Order: sequence, then C-alpha cells, then structure tokens
Amino acid sequence: MSGKNALWKRREFLQGAGIALSLPWLETYAKEHPEQSVTPRRFVSIYHPDGVGLPLKTDPAWKDWSWFPRGGERDFELTKVLDVLEPLRSEISIYSGLSHPAARNVHGHSNADQYLTGATIGGNGPYKNSVSVDQVYAMHIGEATRHASLVLSTNGGIGGPRGAQTQSFNSQGRPIPAMNKPKEVFDMLFVTSNKDAAARLARSKSALDLLIANTKALNRELSSHDQQTLQQYLDAVRDTELKLTKAQKWIDTPFPTVDTKFLTLDAEPKEARLYFQTMYELIYLAFLSDTTRVATFQLGRENGEGPHDLLSLAVGLGPAHGLTHAVKQPDGWKNLGTYNRYQVEEFSRFLHRLKDTSEPSADGNMLDNTFAMHGSASSSFHLSRNYPILSAGGKNFGFSNGRYLKFGRGNEDNQAGAGIDTDSGWQGKVEVEELPLSQLFVTVLQRLGVETDSFGGATGTLTGV
Amino acid sequence: MQSAGLLLWMLVLFAASLRSSEGSDPETPSTPDPRKADTLESARVSGRTNSRLLGQSDLAKNTTTNSASVTPSSEIPEANLADFRQLISPILNQSCLPCHGPHRSEGRLRIDELSPDLVNGSDSERWREVYNAVGNSEMPPEDDPACQLNDKDRASIVDWISQEMSKAPIAIRDKTQPSSFRRMTNYEYRNALEDLLSVSLSTANRLPQEIASEDGFKNSSTLLQMSAMQFETHRDIGLDALHRAIVFGNRPEPVRYRISMLDQIEKPSASKKKAKNSEFFDKDDNDYEKKRRGRVLLNLETGQGLPFQEGSASPIADAIGEGFGDPSAVVLVVPASNEVKWNLDRFLPDEGIMRVTIRAGRSNSNVEQHAALRLIFSAHTSNDANFSQVISQRDIPIKASVDKPECISFDIQLQDIQRNPFRKLSTTFPRRDEFLSIRNVSNAKGQEDPLCVWINDIEIIAPYYENWPPKSHTDIFIPSSSVSDQAVYGREVLSKFLRRAWRRSVSPTELEPFMDLLAKYRAELPSFEAAMTEVLAAALASPEFLYITQRNTSSENDSAPQTISPIELASRLSFFLWSSIPDETLLDLAEQGSLSDPAVLAQQVDRMLADPRSSRLADTFVPQWLGIDGLDSVTHITDGSLKESMRDEPIAFFKEVLSSNSSCLDFIHSPYVVINETLANHYRIAGVRGPEFRKVAVETSVHRGGILTNAAILAMNSDGKDSHPLKRGVWMLKRILQDPPPPPPPNVPEVDLTDPEILKMSLKERIVDHRNKPACLSCHSKIDPWGIAFENFDAMGKYRTEIQGLQVDAKSLLFNKQELDGIEGLKRYLLLNRQDQLCRAMVDKLCGYALGRPMSSADRTQVDRITLAFRKQDDRLGDLIQLIVSSNLFKSR
Repeated sequence: MSGKNALWKRREFLQGAGIALSLPWLETYAKEHPEQSVTPRRFVSIYHPDGVGLPLKTDPAWKDWSWFPRGGERDFELTKVLDVLEPLRSEISIYSGLSHPAARNVHGHSNADQYLTGATIGGNGPYKNSVSVDQVYAMHIGEATRHASLVLSTNGGIGGPRGAQTQSFNSQGRPIPAMNKPKEVFDMLFVTSNKDAAARLARSKSALDLLIANTKALNRELSSHDQQTLQQYLDAVRDTELKLTKAQKWIDTPFPTVDTKFLTLDAEPKEARLYFQTMYELIYLAFLSDTTRVATFQLGRENGEGPHDLLSLAVGLGPAHGLTHAVKQPDGWKNLGTYNRYQVEEFSRFLHRLKDTSEPSADGNMLDNTFAMHGSASSSFHLSRNYPILSAGGKNFGFSNGRYLKFGRGNEDNQAGAGIDTDSGWQGKVEVEELPLSQLFVTVLQRLGVETDSFGGATGTLTGV
Repeated sequence: MQSAGLLLWMLVLFAASLRSSEGSDPETPSTPDPRKADTLESARVSGRTNSRLLGQSDLAKNTTTNSASVTPSSEIPEANLADFRQLISPILNQSCLPCHGPHRSEGRLRIDELSPDLVNGSDSERWREVYNAVGNSEMPPEDDPACQLNDKDRASIVDWISQEMSKAPIAIRDKTQPSSFRRMTNYEYRNALEDLLSVSLSTANRLPQEIASEDGFKNSSTLLQMSAMQFETHRDIGLDALHRAIVFGNRPEPVRYRISMLDQIEKPSASKKKAKNSEFFDKDDNDYEKKRRGRVLLNLETGQGLPFQEGSASPIADAIGEGFGDPSAVVLVVPASNEVKWNLDRFLPDEGIMRVTIRAGRSNSNVEQHAALRLIFSAHTSNDANFSQVISQRDIPIKASVDKPECISFDIQLQDIQRNPFRKLSTTFPRRDEFLSIRNVSNAKGQEDPLCVWINDIEIIAPYYENWPPKSHTDIFIPSSSVSDQAVYGREVLSKFLRRAWRRSVSPTELEPFMDLLAKYRAELPSFEAAMTEVLAAALASPEFLYITQRNTSSENDSAPQTISPIELASRLSFFLWSSIPDETLLDLAEQGSLSDPAVLAQQVDRMLADPRSSRLADTFVPQWLGIDGLDSVTHITDGSLKESMRDEPIAFFKEVLSSNSSCLDFIHSPYVVINETLANHYRIAGVRGPEFRKVAVETSVHRGGILTNAAILAMNSDGKDSHPLKRGVWMLKRILQDPPPPPPPNVPEVDLTDPEILKMSLKERIVDHRNKPACLSCHSKIDPWGIAFENFDAMGKYRTEIQGLQVDAKSLLFNKQELDGIEGLKRYLLLNRQDQLCRAMVDKLCGYALGRPMSSADRTQVDRITLAFRKQDDRLGDLIQLIVSSNLFKSR
C-alpha cells in the first residue's frame, strides 16, 4: 500500500468498485513463464455471418461464384470469390465437409454462437454454451502476455443468446464482450494504465493479508492433520496473491511503442474497408508487440442489421444480410460472391502483413507462427452445414498448406443444399456425411501445445490436415 | 430358456465353490425358506427374529467390544495370505514363473517377488497389471503350451486379486484417518449465505462441481478441495450476496405494471396482434361453451368474450399503493397447458427482486382437477433468434374459487435470469422488448369441464422491497445508539456479523485487523456502509466461514479420543440437519454450555427437525445416498415433469418415514407409496390428483412400496432402451447393502451383437454368456442376481410381465444358492435374512453424512453400538437421528 494520500487521489475511480478481481485472470505477468522463451504461437479466428454463395452446377453463376474451389487437393482452382488468395496459394488451406453436428438443423440466424464452441445450443428455449477454442488456448498461454486474448467484432458486446456478437466464450460458457471501437482497442492495448484496477488490486492485497494472518491464527489451533487441509486454502490465497503481484507488474510495465501509420482510429463500419483494415492492423500490432497471442474478430452478426449491414457498402452493395436472400435475383450470386470476395481480400491483406514481417524473436515470418482461420457457420442460405472455412499459416507448428481438403462423404462437389433460398433447406434431412469441425479444433489445439484429445463433444484429431 | 437356467445354475455353483468363505449368509442361523413366508410384512416380522445382532445382545451382553461383524465391510481388512499360499502361489509358479521368475523376468516382472499383501504391501499396482493381463486372457501367451492356464485356475487368480484389491481402499482410508474438518460444500455455502444474509442466491455453475465419495457423498472432507479459482469465486459470490443484502442511498423508485383485464377488454387494440382475431363472441354463439374455455378475455356478467393473443403493458406513472381494488367481472381465461404472454417492453431494472402478483381463481371446484401457475421469461431478438426460460422456482397452485379470487406472488431476482441484452439499445433492432408468460400447469386437459385459471389482475413491481431499508440490511447495520461513532459502531456491526458467520463469538483482539481494514477502505470508499461491505466480504472469504472448524483442545500426543467443543457441536448439528450454519438459539445454548446436556440436545434436534430448514436433510442426503444424479446421465426420460417427479419421489418417501418416525425397513418395502399424480399415472395407481406428494396405501399387486421400486432408481439404472441388470445389481450392493463390488477391469469384452447365436438370446441369457468368461465371472456372480430380480421393471421403471413376447424371467440365484424370485422374492429375502446388514448400512451412511467423512474401521465399535440401539428401537429413522446426535461418535473430532 502506498500511503493514504495516493489513495485519496484515486478516490474518484473507486466508486462502487468491489474487491473481487476481474482483471488478474486476464492481465497477468509472466516474465518467468517457460513458454516465453520459445517462439510464440498465435491463433486468430475471423467469423463472417450469412455464409457464402453456393449455386447449383446447372446455374450459370456456378463457375464463377460458387465459394468452394474446383479440383483436387493440390490442383484446386479458385473461383472469383477466392481468387484474391491466389498469390498466397501456398500459405492457405481450404476445407469442405466440416460442421458442428449438434447445429446441423439449427437455423443459420442462430448458429454463430457455437462456431468456436461446438455446443448444443438448439434453436429456442433455455440456452447454454461452452468454452470456445480460442479461450482454451488463451487459458493455456494467456499468462505469457499482457492480455490473454483480444476479442473484437463490428457490432460489439455480446449480442443475445443465439444472436452472438462475439466468437469467444469463457470456461463457463458465458460470452466475452467484444470490443468494436478502434480507439478503445488501441487505448486498451497500448495506452491506458488502468488506475481503477490498480486501486482495486491494492485493496484486494490488504484483504488477502488479513486472510493470511487470520488463517495462520486458525492454523495454530488445529491438529496437524487438519493443518494439512487448511494448507490448501493458504496455497489458494497465496496463488491469488501471486496473480495480484503479476497483475501489478503489468500495470507497472511500460507499454510497447507501435507504429500507428496504418491505423485510422476513428474509422466506423460504414467506411468498411478502412474499418476492417484498422481492426486487422490492431490485431497485427498486438501480435507483433506480443501483447496477446489470441484474437477473434467477428464481421457483423447473423441476421444483419446494425453495423453489419453497412459492411457491404465497401463494394457498393445494399445491406449485407439481404444479399443472401436475393441470390435468385439478377446478379444475385455475383453480388453475394463479390461481398464474400471483399471479406477475403481484407483477410489476405492481413495475411500479407504477417508474412512480410519477420518474427521479432526468432527466425522466419510471423505468419509461419500464426494459425489464422476465416469462416462461417453456414454455407448455403441459412444452412448450418458444410462450413466454408479457410486457414493460413502455422507452418512452424505443423501445418502444411497449399491444399484443398475435402472431408466427409457424399458431397464432394458441394452440391448438398446448393441453390436454396427458402427455409425448407436448413430444416431438411442431413443426407451427406460431414465430420465434426471440433476435430479440426483438437488438431489446432494440439499443435498450439495444448494437451487435449477432445473438444466440444468431439474426440480425436482431423486426419490429413 | 431351460438350458440357460441350467448354465446359470452351474455357473453359480462354480462361483460359490470358489468362495468357500462366503458360502452362507452372515446372519440366518437356520436359513428359512423365503417362499414360506406369506407376506412381506410377515417376512419382516420373522426376519427380525433372525437378527444375529439382536440375538447376540440378548445372549452375550458382556461382549461389548468384540461383537461379531454385521457386514463384510465392517471387518478390518486383512490380506488373505492363506489362500495365496494354498491356492494362488502354486498356479503362479507353474504358469508364470518360467518367464517372470529368477531365470527370465519379462517386462521386469518377478512374480515370485511380488508381495502377496495387497492391503499393506507395496506391489498393488503390479498386481493390478497381473489382474488385467490374466483376466483378459492376454497372459500366459497362447503360443506357449508349457504355461497354459485352465479356466478354473484363471478364475481363481482373478478372483483372489479382485478381492484383495477391494480391501485396499478401506485400509488406506484407515491409514489416513479422515477428519471432519472440511470446507463447506457448494450447497452448504449457498444455504449458509442465504440464511446469514436473508437473500436469495443463484450460485449455479459458478463454483466447480463437487466430487462424490465412493459412498456417493459430496460432503466428504478429503474430497472438498480448495484452489485459487475456487477461492476467488467464493470472494465474488460473497460480495455479490452482500450487495443483495445491503442497500445504499434512498429507496429506488420501482417500475410498476398493473394489468386489469377490464382495461384489456375495453381497449382490445392493445391486447391483440391480428385484427381478424379481435371479434367478440357471446352467449348466442353456437360453440360458446367451447369458446369461453379457450384463451380469451371473458366478461363473467355479460358473457361476452374476446380471444386473447398476446398482451402488452407499460409501466404506470402514478405511485399509488400496492394491491388491487375489488375484482372486476372481466377475467383472462388460461386453459390447461396454455400460456398468456405479456410484452413488458424494456423497462425492467437490471437488478433487484421483481415481484409478480396475480389475482386469480378456479373456473370450477372439481377436486379431481388442479391448476398451478408458472412464470416464463423470454425475448425474441430477431426472427429465428429467441430464448425463453422458466424463472419461477416452483409452481404456485390456484385454489380459490372464482367469486373469491386470491393473490399469489412470485419473487424473481432479476440479475439471476437471462435478460434481453439489447434492451438498452437506442435503435429498435434487434428487438429490445422482454416478455413475461404465465403458464397454467394442470391435469385438466381433455376433461369434460376442464378447469381453467381465471386471472383478474396482474401486478409487477421491480425492484420490490417489503420494507426500506430491508431486513437484510438492518440485520447487518443494526440499530444502535452509537451509530454516529464509527469506531464503536463498526465493532458492534462486526462482532454481531462475525458471530453468525463464524459460528462463534469473536474476541476484541480478533476484531482489530478488521477495524484496521475498515479504516483503510473507509478512506477510499464513499460511505461507511460501502467500506463495511468490503470488510464483511473479507470475513466471508475467511476459512472461519468457509470451513467447518474443529479446534484442538488437547495436546497432539494425547491419544484419548477427543471431543469437539459445544460451539462446534452446534455447527455440526446444523450442518447435519440444515446443511447450513446454526441459528442464534443454537449458538446461545452452546455458549451457555447447556447444549451438552442430553435432554437439551434431544430437544434441539426435535426443534430443528420441525423447522422448514430440515427439509434440506432429505433434499441433500437422499440424492447423494441413492445416487439420484444418475438420472442426469440417461437420456430416455423425455417427459420433464415425470423426470422431476421421479427425482423427488425418494426424497418425499424419506421425509414421510422421518416425520412419522417409521422403520427404515420401509425403504425395502412398505404397504404404501409416497407419490403425486404424475407418478400415480406412471405406476397405474388410481385416485391420486395433484402435483404434491402424499402417502398412498397400495396393494402388493401393484409391485410398489419402499424405494427399490422407485421409478428414478429403475430408470437411471437402465441403458436408455432397456433395463440394465448389472447397473441395478451394482446399485443394490453399493447403495443398499453397503457391500460394493470391485471396479470392473479395463477392456471389458463387449457382448458381440453381430454374433447370430448371441442375437437369439434373451438379455438374461446374454448376461450368463458374458459371465462365462473367467475375467468376468468372479464379480458378476456377486452382482447379477440382484439386478436380474428387477427384470419385471423396464427402462422407465414400469412393471411388465413380458419382454418382446417372452415372459419375463426375473428369477436368479445368489452364489449362496438362495433364490430371488423377482422383486417380491428379493424384498422377502432381504427382510428375512439381511435386516442387520440393511440397518447397519443405513447407520453407516447417515453417520458418514453427519460427520462429513467416511466411516473407518476405527469407528466400527461406535457404529455397531448405534446400530444395536437402533435395531432395539425398531429401526425407526427419527430415533436414529437422535441416536447419532447423542452418540460419542457425533461428538468426536
């Protein structure tokens, strides 16, 4: 404690603040952490609602505007939707035939919540989610950096049950609010020293001191056997104290200086390109400065509205969600494909940034040490199957790219559910076999260094990744 | 069938021959033929005369310490070295030694060097490997003809090792000397906070789940761990609870909705969505009788009605008092299993209690029909994205007649329910409104004159406070003449609070650190109350609150049994009977020293059992004792209300036995059941109406009575499609007979369902076939007969006489050749031959629960003593509680 005067000055920050800790789980310091000596491994997930265009083969638009590539694992041919990735061809993998089994008959408007969790959230009634894959990794590696994870979305906050505006869910399945204002994100990452948190830490410290003294007094009156039981409590308090100390150290550690020339901190979703570029740049800077190793970014929310619908202004089109409903209108497939193409274009710009930057503390480039995935929990109209997923990077921890990986059986040409624009599609019987997306997550977690054999109800890894 | 029966018979004989030491029942000096006893009631009477325990106590009153064991589990476990030398060692030497002996030691295993003492020796892990390898026929290798093992020898090895392994946990338990010093369980913690602070809390999912002991108990001291995560969660919850109890500033102006059905019918545009449904109907209409029983607004005077789709309400501005005026003639008719939904827009506050008061009555007085109301909260944030949840804790029955409607109230803690996260947006999409639905839960559907609930008025107030400041606040910030002197008043508040929270008076010296903390916080925080709140939060994170303490009053080397202090006795008593902290009365009596007086103690037990908090004894003990959580592991019970009734039945039964101080043998069989309408329908018992449980006399022909035939037990011990005799057998041994079988070996061979021969067999035949494998035989012959006797009950616990056209075969043989003929046969056998074992198991389980630790062999004398007294008092459950509380065991540290 630093004397009463200092505390008096902070008084305005302390109104109503509890001694309960909210920060230390997130903000911990790990100078001694063993993971820090090795090259960082990073995870980032980009989610776009509304799925992609999936016309029937018989449709003239199929050749140019079907999202999935044509051809085999190595000789695949990208359509106009993904052709912006051609220069990065050897750095990417494209997946088909993956989905979360529990959601295959859930309406597309409700399925974003389970994209990174695989939980059985259902379509109505009581709601319960589970931990998301990014947070599993954040719990594993979070102590090595100032922030365990960076959670972003265009719409911000948590959204509603079955209408998530965040991809990230904590270990109790509760949504983690996403940030959506570039200025606030930047300040949190590189500017603001949280004085409120500091004062709370100090108060917490005093309470812990008292509890330790209290415990020791009790300990003296116990049998030696019961003293061992109480030792667990004492250890728990000491662990908490250690966390406080680490959190305090982060508060005292100067922020890294970053180059802000690609940031437009007042960008808004209606200037979608600028906004996307700024948000991606913030993730890039957070990775570069090793402020975090885990990030999620959700581009909009299912069922449109709010900032989401403004995103398609970037390519001169009307409200984004409406594009999925209008595929049978003139140029419908083309418009949806153009919108998806622009999403991928911004993602590829981010990938280039990572690829062109050498890893600060090791050999190679940053992309080789980052697993970056981009996807949606629906393919065709409101259809929660055959998720359109692509990933990039991760070469230094086991990913070999330049491949189009087809999983499951019976849908090799991605025609199941193609061309639909009514709700009978998503309600229809599942006719083809798909593999659990969670198996890809198990693969990713294992390669990131998390010892696990199961995730989101699925056991085992995905063969061939 | 016949050949299968013969095979079973042979196997059982075979098993019995392997276990010469267990060939006969522990009691039954002269085994009576179970079929000769006419009724289960008379079996119970004659079974009592077979009690070895009661007989012994009459014959040999002098032998106090060395009374004969009642069950296998009460023996001090000792390694069976004699069998090893005579039976096992020669086989091992012949079949294993060539490769695992002095000449070669494959896998670095020297079979001749393993200590045959699995109880105290150091090689039990290696023996487990031997057990698995031999049991799974992996060893000896098939290609070595010199070392082959015949099935009988293989079974002998497996049988001996499994028996020895099952002794080890008891031995370990004895060595570690479990103590009753422990952390509160999560449910005790929640009760304690609720009782201490007079608040309602929802701690669900916040704290890590508790692990159950081998006996199923979650309050077992060694398993109640503490981690940094758990500790921090306790701090969060403690502070949260204090914030619910303590108020700051002025009374908040509540949001208030008042919905009168008269208004609704007079301005129909507000209450309907679609114009085409807004047509009024009246008595002249052809189907008037049908219409007026639909979901409608109905004017009881004119008979005029209006279909009701969905209502909407806005907060009222005028702060007139609570309550309604005289009821109007207009009611909202809610038919059975229907909901009426109200759009409350977005004005409910974030926190505090929402009180929903409904004035309603019944549309008829038919006692065969009942109705209760339930609240559901929902939001519809966009098309195809919605959620809903039941927010009321329990359904409230509507009993008033329609001319005298009554008010019922629900109190809902708003921060504990799922809210619409978009309610504060400035834009209108996603939708910001929230909905409250009132559901009529009733049995009246499809009846001729179906009972409807007629609602007159609805009032919603949030946040609701009965008084200001609320009692929860003034219990902490007590009225005092020293309020203005914060140093004095702070001590008063703290010492009162700490005495309740820590269950003991706290000395002035102990207060000092808290006063220092208060001073520190007071400098930073805006008010005395705010600073005190955080100091109290620290007190609630202290081990003095979180742990049930027992202080060491004598020196470490003192080997005499030590007893707890009177103040600790108060806590032990309240955690046993209330699953929570003691009240002021108990603390006062303890501090005056009179709680140690046996008469006062007995009186307090009676008082506590009469208190509503004692419901927690049954609510927590019974599910743990019987393992009712198993219901959550099966998915075939799709009817939610049936599942809830199943879960509640054994609890209700226990409460009945306890309150009437009946015999514990009622758990095995009783001429009555304790059921509600849902279960009565499930069991096909006529004449039971309503959701509340009550005692109903039944004939033997319904095959119910006791807890063994409770649907919950039978259904949770099923595999989802059919009965599961193995699960049921294991359950009997573990939960009722206190004679748990050893755990199954890994890689249990699956029954090959592609084998056409196996597909032809009945379930019982398959079990026999499976048992034929030496790895399985030794355990299965002990387990299966108990489960097969339940074959007349299907996966839902319904009685059946046929399975797929074949007559049910529920006859089985215990390895001591005793036949169990179906459920009646099983009950008769237990009542005739196993009363001592059943009673001792009950004593053992309740003592383990009461002390928060499993009973060890060191407790055996005490447990036997209580069992004897219990048996002498006709096995009465209420008496047993008194016997346990007054025992030395209960006072021991």
